[in-house]
Amino acid sequence: MAEIRPDEVSAILRKQLAGFDNEVDIYEVGTVLQVGDGIARVYGLSNVMASELVEFPNNVTGMVLNLEEDSVGCVLFGESTLIKEGDTVKRTNRVASFPVGDKLLGRVVNPLGEPVDGKGTIKFDKYMPIERKALGVIARQPVKEPLQTGITAIDAMIPIGRGQRELIIGDRQTGKTAIAIDTIINQKYTHTEEAKKYGIKPVYCVYVAIGQKNSTIAQVVAKLEEEGAMAYTTIVSAPASSPAPLQYIAPYSGATLGEHFRDTGRHSLLIYDDLSKQAVAYRELSLLLRRPPGREAYPGDVFYLHSRLLERASKLSEDLGGGSLTALPIIETQQGDVSAYIPTNVISITDGQIYLEPNLFNAGVRPAINVGISVSRVGGNAQIKAMKKVAGSLKIDLAQYRELEAFAKFGSDLDKATQRILAKGARLVELLKQDQYSPISVEKQVISVFLGTNNYMDSIKLQDVKKFEKEFHEFAELKYPAIYESIISTKELKDDIVQLLKKAADEFVEKFNK
Amino acid sequence: MSVFRISYRYANSFFQLAEEKKALEKFAEDVELIYNTLLQSKELRAILRNPVIKQKDKKNLLSKIFSSKLENETSKFLEFLVTKGREDIITEIMKEFLNLRDDKVGIVRTNITSSVDLTDAVRKEISSKLEKKTNKKVLAEFVADKNLIGGFIVQIKDIVYDASVKHQLELLRKKFSEEISI
Repeated sequence: MAEIRPDEVSAILRKQLAGFDNEVDIYEVGTVLQVGDGIARVYGLSNVMASELVEFPNNVTGMVLNLEEDSVGCVLFGESTLIKEGDTVKRTNRVASFPVGDKLLGRVVNPLGEPVDGKGTIKFDKYMPIERKALGVIARQPVKEPLQTGITAIDAMIPIGRGQRELIIGDRQTGKTAIAIDTIINQKYTHTEEAKKYGIKPVYCVYVAIGQKNSTIAQVVAKLEEEGAMAYTTIVSAPASSPAPLQYIAPYSGATLGEHFRDTGRHSLLIYDDLSKQAVAYRELSLLLRRPPGREAYPGDVFYLHSRLLERASKLSEDLGGGSLTALPIIETQQGDVSAYIPTNVISITDGQIYLEPNLFNAGVRPAINVGISVSRVGGNAQIKAMKKVAGSLKIDLAQYRELEAFAKFGSDLDKATQRILAKGARLVELLKQDQYSPISVEKQVISVFLGTNNYMDSIKLQDVKKFEKEFHEFAELKYPAIYESIISTKELKDDIVQLLKKAADEFVEKFNK
Repeated sequence: MSVFRISYRYANSFFQLAEEKKALEKFAEDVELIYNTLLQSKELRAILRNPVIKQKDKKNLLSKIFSSKLENETSKFLEFLVTKGREDIITEIMKEFLNLRDDKVGIVRTNITSSVDLTDAVRKEISSKLEKKTNKKVLAEFVADKNLIGGFIVQIKDIVYDASVKHQLELLRKKFSEEISI
């Protein structure tokens, strides 16, 4: 950095002083009655609004959550040890809000919009309240564009559309975050010139980390930077060490930023990682505010906590710019128990779920998606035609395979037809395995699934399936680029392309088996 | 239930009685006497709070202290409070009653803090300015606080009018810390 001359400093200071007028300042105050565990009860502040920000001494801010007859209950966003009984509390006349704008891209911020990545302050020009009412019916239109995750198993069988809410649910260590990060990385394509040519609009990503380890967040940031994905991503971080109120508001802050992209006619992807921790944080502070506990000690409005958040995901009508906000909430289950309170709530709110299983994960099926019970209720309309065509038989083949798989464990005396189904199923499962951080483009996915479902892999050894797939793409991209070109541009699988694909496959299978 | 709600209910019932009997001023004097006595005597408050001491003794004590100076209704009210087992919050109830009286009569109590002791003329001027602004009778309490450096602070209920040098400097500090991005 260039050195700053003393006269420059004084010039700046003078400029700031110039805008400083010496007038009587009028503000409203209250007195702290009681403080502790991140909650303060305040006497006074008679005109304060619900969810307004208030200022405590020592630069601690708080948010008003409870308005009672004689006192106001505030949650603190800072250390409660810095505040003592009798301290003065000031109103700010500002409802809790979050800065929005493109300056946040590539940054890591806390739920109040303050940067925590050490890259300097951000000058914001616009703030939006973190709690906004979700849009009504008239402002919306059905989900119709695909949001490619780059994971074949999801894009083929559990497709996600722009504006959808798709839950990622599973035990710890089953790769939930991995799916989310892969999806963010895969959006890089949408920001390229090539995507623009084919009419694919860019997707801006917001990753909200709630109650995670700081080291995990740092890892995610490093990975996204390495992949060049931070350019279109903002990370809202409320790590495990931050006070419960910050963890509670983090997803709303993220949603506010996502809504900004949506309302300016762009597309955004929001990942809430994870909402079970947010519910726990909310439980903590509502118990401290003495709201009555209900099932599993969660307060009565824990359903509303998540429903009002996820309702903000939407696809806007063309009149409003056609932007979208896709939400991928993550829920961590305990020992696969999806019938616990929070998982059932979020399952019922979302438009489908991706269910991850530790058994599959340990068996080497990664991503460990249980395609049998994972569903997407609206994404089907958003799938490109080519994918829809090939994915239908994939689902049936896999369903048949799962049915027979259980039988096959008992004996080896199986008839030819059964053996064929089993062999094909095993190859399809192998085909759907995918490494982390290696998203596959949709045209390649279509071709891979086509090869799998049309029995081109029957003669290939099980362990060679991935190799076969990889080499086929290398071969076909070189020799038959028209196939890829046609799928991208028309988004369909036309008959002549099918013929060409079959020809290429026959040719390659022969070559491969040699 | 919070102390506020309880004390409000008792104070309000006594206040209504006072209005009914058209003896608000007399009652208010009594209440003020009780309130000030309680504020000054720590021992009396301790005795009233103490659950070991019998209600009968508390009643006797209160009547011995106050009965000669109070209206009949006020003594009865005190006795009633003890019977109801609310003798521990008599101070709050009295305060609440005085608040109700202030609202009714149109009195606002203000705290005025200034860096130096103000002369009577200035005090009067500030009070009359405030009376004009609030359209109510202003009862001001003046405090001097050197920490303000200069200027004064007026607090009327929850609203603060801050014209102190200390606050100005604080604002300046905030402004500088915010906008140092070159």
